[in-house]
Amino acid sequence: MKVSKDNFFTRNTHPLHLFITSAVILPAYLFQDELVVRVAQVLVFAWLSTVAGKKIKWMYFVIMVSSITFFNLLSPMGRVLFSIGPFEVTQGALSSGVMKGVTIVGLVFISLFSIRPDLRLPGRLGGLLVRLFYYFERIVDTKRQKLEARRLIGSIDDILESLYLPGEPQEPPQADTVATSVMGASVMAVLILSNWALLFV
Amino acid sequence: MTELTMEADRRLYERLDLIAFFGATCLFFSTIEYLFPKPFPFFRLGLANLPVIISLKLFSPRYVLLLVLLKVLGQGLINGTLASYVFLFSLGGSFASAFVMLASQKLFGERISLVGISVFGAIASNSVQIFLSVRFIFGMSAWVIAPPFVALGVASGFAVGLFAQKFLQQSRWLGKVRESLQR
Repeated sequence: MKVSKDNFFTRNTHPLHLFITSAVILPAYLFQDELVVRVAQVLVFAWLSTVAGKKIKWMYFVIMVSSITFFNLLSPMGRVLFSIGPFEVTQGALSSGVMKGVTIVGLVFISLFSIRPDLRLPGRLGGLLVRLFYYFERIVDTKRQKLEARRLIGSIDDILESLYLPGEPQEPPQADTVATSVMGASVMAVLILSNWALLFV
Repeated sequence: MTELTMEADRRLYERLDLIAFFGATCLFFSTIEYLFPKPFPFFRLGLANLPVIISLKLFSPRYVLLLVLLKVLGQGLINGTLASYVFLFSLGGSFASAFVMLASQKLFGERISLVGISVFGAIASNSVQIFLSVRFIFGMSAWVIAPPFVALGVASGFAVGLFAQKFLQQSRWLGKVRESLQR
């Protein structure tokens, strides 16, 4: 999953506020029992994920929903809609399979737009994650040194030695945290209200 | 006494920092994994486990488990999957694999190589993921995918373990890591 760092959410929302927004949306999404509404919600979440800089592999999600639906169809339920040879497609199994698949994919999209690497977890573990991301960025930025197939382990060693000398810990720089702007707060409020309102329409 | 405490603190700090670096290499390998074609959309080669497998020979079990936790949380935050089923799968598979690898190392000691440990870990990880997918996503019918899924897991576990074994034997950098940990 490729991520663009500069986007509407990183500019306008504090990572914790965005995370809380998704936590508040989640029950409204899960309580929704109208398939059409849920599909619409999923499409909005997918769009929000692209706004958040995530490049979505659509084929992965299509295969995901299709395979969940297929495995559900193997346990017939309700009226027979049509048959493909000996295989009967039943209404109950089809709708519950699609609902399940769409729900799971929607949960991934909610996660994709609302979870960011700059979301800081509390305590010592949070501090370790800051270090982890600091080193990860350093590894990713090491473009000058390349791996050589003929001396693979030697060239990996060269890169590792240039990045980290054991016994010499490095201090990650203090990261700036973005405050939630009025625009960001408005978008989050609209998301929460619209998802909850859909339960009562 | 104070100097001893400070020395212990310094060692703990260095060790945790090294674990964070190992965690970062896990994330790096998981991004590399996207470059390889996959036979199944949900199948993973397990390259991100390479640093975890190597860590078995360098750190105590609690540091290995900490590394696994950092790897899973880091992947969840980087990929944005922390609040989804993907995170649950990753958490279940990674910890099952870590526990089985630690247990097989403890049980067989020097009689087992990293290849064997890695294969056991891959089987544990894939079994848990199949169980979770049957239980929460696909339903009972999905057991049919278990044999090829586990077979592919064994093959990739073998390959990753083989590389980990070779890297452990030949890497200069790991030699320095060992020295610093023994100091």
